[in-house]
Amino acid sequence: MFDLIGNLGLGFATALSPANLLLCFVGVLVGTLIGVLPGVGPIATIAMLMPLTFKVDPTGALIMLAGIYYGAQYGGSTTAILVNIPGEATSVVTALDGHAMARKGQAGIALGIAAIASFFAGTVATLVIAAIGAPLTKLALLFGPAEYFGLMVLGLGLAIVLARGSVLKACIMVVFGLLLATVGQDLETGQDRLTLGFADLADGIDFAVLAMGVFGIAEILRNLESPEARNVVHGTIGRLLPSWADLRRSFGPIVRATGLGSALGILPGNGAVLAPFASYTLEKKLAKDPSRFGRGAIEGVAGPEAANNAGAQTAFIPLLTLGIPPNAVMALMVGAMTIHGVIPGPQVMTKNPSLFWGMIASMWIGNLMLLVINLPLIGLWVRLLKVPYRLLFTTILLFCCIGIYSINNNPSDVYFTAFFGFVGYALIRLGLEPAPMLLGFVLGRLMEEKLRQALALSDGSFMTFVERPVSAALLVLALAVMVVAVLPAVRKGREEAFQE
Amino acid sequence: MLVSADNSSPSRSATAIWLRQDFAGGLVIIAVAGFAFWQASALPIGTLGGMGPGMLPRSLAVLLGLLGTLLLVDAILSDGPPLGRWSIRGPLLVLAGVVAFGLAVRPLGLIVAGPLAILIAAIASDEVRWGETILFGALMTALCIGLFKFALGLPIPLAPWLVGY
Repeated sequence: MFDLIGNLGLGFATALSPANLLLCFVGVLVGTLIGVLPGVGPIATIAMLMPLTFKVDPTGALIMLAGIYYGAQYGGSTTAILVNIPGEATSVVTALDGHAMARKGQAGIALGIAAIASFFAGTVATLVIAAIGAPLTKLALLFGPAEYFGLMVLGLGLAIVLARGSVLKACIMVVFGLLLATVGQDLETGQDRLTLGFADLADGIDFAVLAMGVFGIAEILRNLESPEARNVVHGTIGRLLPSWADLRRSFGPIVRATGLGSALGILPGNGAVLAPFASYTLEKKLAKDPSRFGRGAIEGVAGPEAANNAGAQTAFIPLLTLGIPPNAVMALMVGAMTIHGVIPGPQVMTKNPSLFWGMIASMWIGNLMLLVINLPLIGLWVRLLKVPYRLLFTTILLFCCIGIYSINNNPSDVYFTAFFGFVGYALIRLGLEPAPMLLGFVLGRLMEEKLRQALALSDGSFMTFVERPVSAALLVLALAVMVVAVLPAVRKGREEAFQE
Repeated sequence: MLVSADNSSPSRSATAIWLRQDFAGGLVIIAVAGFAFWQASALPIGTLGGMGPGMLPRSLAVLLGLLGTLLLVDAILSDGPPLGRWSIRGPLLVLAGVVAFGLAVRPLGLIVAGPLAILIAAIASDEVRWGETILFGALMTALCIGLFKFALGLPIPLAPWLVGY
């Protein structure tokens, strides 16, 4: 307990330095600005804005990136509420009741409660990270290659179950991602693999390039296809602060959703995606009058928003303690950390405590800033959303190009991004959701490394995964999750859950 | 005509097999798997205890091919949504804009690559307005130069032929 207070003290001392405060502020502001643009989710936003952090010291850079992340997340909710275009999967739920509220002239209240719910969830999630970060780190040091491998298999299993659409297609995309991860020099022999003779592929496909292509460029291609159907809420935004009655009604959902989101966010395999759906379903079940949902129930905004933010934040736990990115955003964080010479994993906390705790403290500060700067800026976001898409998309495209070029100062990254933009577009048109592919790609290299280490230690015997209790348990769990997902009863329930 | 008309009346006849989305998806996945397997076929496999570089790419390619076959078989056996119409102009021009940026940024700098990318991509939209696009492209490029080049000091070339950097 005293450790926790001491550590958080160190964190706040780091995060409250004027330079870091400024970086956090700029990150949150710019993140929201880009995240508000329709069709630009947190992944594309971070990939685009990563070069902003290059000139800063590692701690400041990560504080700024984390700020960009929450900003983008909150910006996505703003777009979902005001125009009914969710920036990414997690704000789909917010769009349901949030946009309905906006049409009733309560856009301000919807945005206000979203900000308050996010802040509350962010505060709790920060405490959760601070409290369980240290013990988990100790656990991680006991993990051998077999356990790491088992954990990542579980992550992929969960990603398949949590993906929208058919389980088979999600499997295909995960394996496709794993295959893409093998591109580049072999870990041990240094031989080129699947590089098609491109020297630029020797280090493998750059994650930012893949993510920007599949989530940035492909999204533009898809949006251009469907004719402009953006109806920004007309008329007034209304007052921003919810009434006492609204707050009383939202309090329960926010608390429950924060718990749900924090728990799901820790899971490897992007459990955070499920959190808003789970919260929405739960609140609808608990409500006295479920028919209000979908027609502007404030609980339907407060709950999912809290769940979303809590999950987004506790997703840092697997990254900071185990070095395993649980989703694409965290994979970009890995990229950013590596650029600054920080290797994510249990050693960050011991070797670089001010970075670790400073980042955690800055999460809370970032959430507070979101609350303070966004409420007055909503008018600006509304005006930004009224800019026609034919102008917006060229701007988004230019930012994408500059961002990708600046990561390595290499024009071929720009070409590869265009290529993966096409791949992403083709996948969408073929009904193959690209999100699981990204996770397969993210975990691929590390999985191969751990698999090879584990098998080398056991002289090629797969029994090592079964004989070691922790890895056996993780693999059995992964298998169970997959089996359950294809059971007819659960399958039906799963389809219904995603329908809503 | 591949237009995805959405008449979900019960009398709607099933989509022809080769027009089904999953049929095409299965074929594409099998092709990708085959290509990867072929590319990895020269790499040594090694043993389980000491894996060679070819072991995982090849096993994953086989697995991907099997899963793709499952998708294909499923599409043949049961009806599914049609492939739908693919647009060509939009994707082609947007991607051309990105590639043009990549080609121009080193030799000509941001001052040319920026407006070039914006102009090419702008044609992708059905509602392109030239005057507006040119003005907007110039404005955005100026903004990006100010932000990325001067405020952040990124080493992105500005106009090597004009100012030397």
